[in-house]
Amino acid sequence: MTTATRQLSESARAASASESRYRIDVPIAPARAARVIALDERAAAVARHLAERPWAHARFFTADRPFGPEGRLRRLAGGGAAGGRPGAGGSEPPSESGAMAPGEMPAAPPGWVAAAPPDTVPDVPLDEALTGSDVVVVLATEDGGRDVAAAIGRFCGRRGITTAGVVLGDGFEADDAVAALRPYARVLLLSADESDAFELLTALRV
Amino acid sequence: MLRKDINELLTQTGPGSPMGELFRQYWIPALLAEELPENDCPPVRVKLLSERMVAFRDSEGRYGLIDEFCAHRGASLWFGRNEGSGLRCPYHGWKYDVSGQCVEVPSEADNSSFCQNVQLTSYPLVKIGDLLWTYMGDRATQPPLPEFEWIHVPAEQTYTSKRWQQCNWLQAFEGGIDSSHVTFLHSGGLKTDPLFKGAKGNEYNMNDTKPFFEVADSDGGLFVGARRNAEEGTYYWRITPWVMPAFTMVPPRGDHPVHGHFWVPIDDENCWTYSFDYHPVRALTDTERQAMIDGHGVHSKNIPGTYRPMANMDNDYLIDRAAQKRGETYSGVAGIAMQDASLQESMGPIVDRSKERLVPADSGIIKARQKLRKAAIALRDEGVTPPGVDPEHHRVRSAAVVLPRAESFLDSCRDAVRVTPGVPQSSV
Repeated sequence: MTTATRQLSESARAASASESRYRIDVPIAPARAARVIALDERAAAVARHLAERPWAHARFFTADRPFGPEGRLRRLAGGGAAGGRPGAGGSEPPSESGAMAPGEMPAAPPGWVAAAPPDTVPDVPLDEALTGSDVVVVLATEDGGRDVAAAIGRFCGRRGITTAGVVLGDGFEADDAVAALRPYARVLLLSADESDAFELLTALRV
Repeated sequence: MLRKDINELLTQTGPGSPMGELFRQYWIPALLAEELPENDCPPVRVKLLSERMVAFRDSEGRYGLIDEFCAHRGASLWFGRNEGSGLRCPYHGWKYDVSGQCVEVPSEADNSSFCQNVQLTSYPLVKIGDLLWTYMGDRATQPPLPEFEWIHVPAEQTYTSKRWQQCNWLQAFEGGIDSSHVTFLHSGGLKTDPLFKGAKGNEYNMNDTKPFFEVADSDGGLFVGARRNAEEGTYYWRITPWVMPAFTMVPPRGDHPVHGHFWVPIDDENCWTYSFDYHPVRALTDTERQAMIDGHGVHSKNIPGTYRPMANMDNDYLIDRAAQKRGETYSGVAGIAMQDASLQESMGPIVDRSKERLVPADSGIIKARQKLRKAAIALRDEGVTPPGVDPEHHRVRSAAVVLPRAESFLDSCRDAVRVTPGVPQSSV
């Protein structure tokens, strides 16, 4: 007995579940050098919490207030690369989280440096903090950080650094900060919470 | 990027799965009303959320959606005889009404009550607009009927089509909140499609290929605002609402009808894409309606007698590399619908999201996945009713507006994104 063989089109064959086994499967290295900057105190609390998580390349900062032309950023302990050990210290993502669990994060890149203890990391000028980054995530809860937001936005705009703004809380208190970020931020997540920031950073593989 | 187990959670919608239970909180499209055109017409096979059923319209015009298989020997009731206010299995004559209740077992004695103990699973099936809607959840928590504007305007103002999409519902749905692909994949259509072309907004779309996004929660899901440069001091905003779990509207263009989609899982590797066009305040013109029937805009030209697109994976989507080279289409595939479907299906039946490299512009997708996951878990663990169940959440519109640069789209468009009967859509 013979069975007629159905000739699948190239697209039908390629899209089948069986063909997905042959996709090239290599580890995906963290792709982005992220800076996460909290513009105000409540945002800083979120940034500190996030910094405890196991990131590969993300560095976390808070901003001076007021933020003048010589504005400086304070590095938070934790984060990845030169600021924290991936997988170190932090609380694990909630079990229901969609993020990579500890241990699933890609290994630290060569040249990784151990974390500095809290409060011993010196303040750094904005340009020094952002040099080498390719994405900046700004956290804001209120308008007090509008000057910082504008300065970061301008800097990133000049340097071609992608900027994202995460407005924590209901956003009503951060109208000015949002307006300052709007011309520069490729994306603004409004009425967000800590988990939004966490999900964004995780999805970006920072 | 999503962890594999979360990807499975979001993509599996069978009975008992968290996302399956989430979908079972909502009224969802089951089939087009045209599929059951008259009383006692042939039954139709329907597979939704990995459950196989048949739909039929009985002698009194009542709609039924019941288990596909006869309780006796498991024969498919698709072969059934729709007659005398019930669907009769042709194998041994067992007969069921629209509620799935067995009403006749011919082999039993005339006065036997046996059939009263035979009940097939059934779900309500209700015609609203051009669709038949079903609710597959617990009857005790059945919500009020859906109130999306497109199904409540007069019949002459609305048109709905459907097509079979050969991939998981989530990767099809995610295209609906991904506004940045329009400038590339659909660029040809903006210039030539009769349901798109001619709008001032198209110029903004084409002149600014790097939109900025703002993503905000709504009661029923999200608003995703995509912003492009317009004239000096202004931005062109395109605002896409998502109502959970799977309803989106495309921002309008000029006075063209407004379109959108509702994605419904068939099983974990296939979904139905329901695509609609409607105008809030006027009848569709004959030209517009014919364009929709011909597969323009968000619709597809289907193989006659089926809901499978004529351009499909079995014929490489009729890709035309010469048209691509001439600039008529960006990908070589014709039509907005199949441009989307071809790429979404090319990812495979269920794309492995642990391999993604997302960018900030994907924040709408990131947020939507998070909301779906949280809602599914809150329902599973605490019984929390998810957003989008309340019909009030359905009364949203998409919008396209030009605003001064300092203005927030959320503040400026509160009225524009709400349904106001008799008021046209906000469009550019």
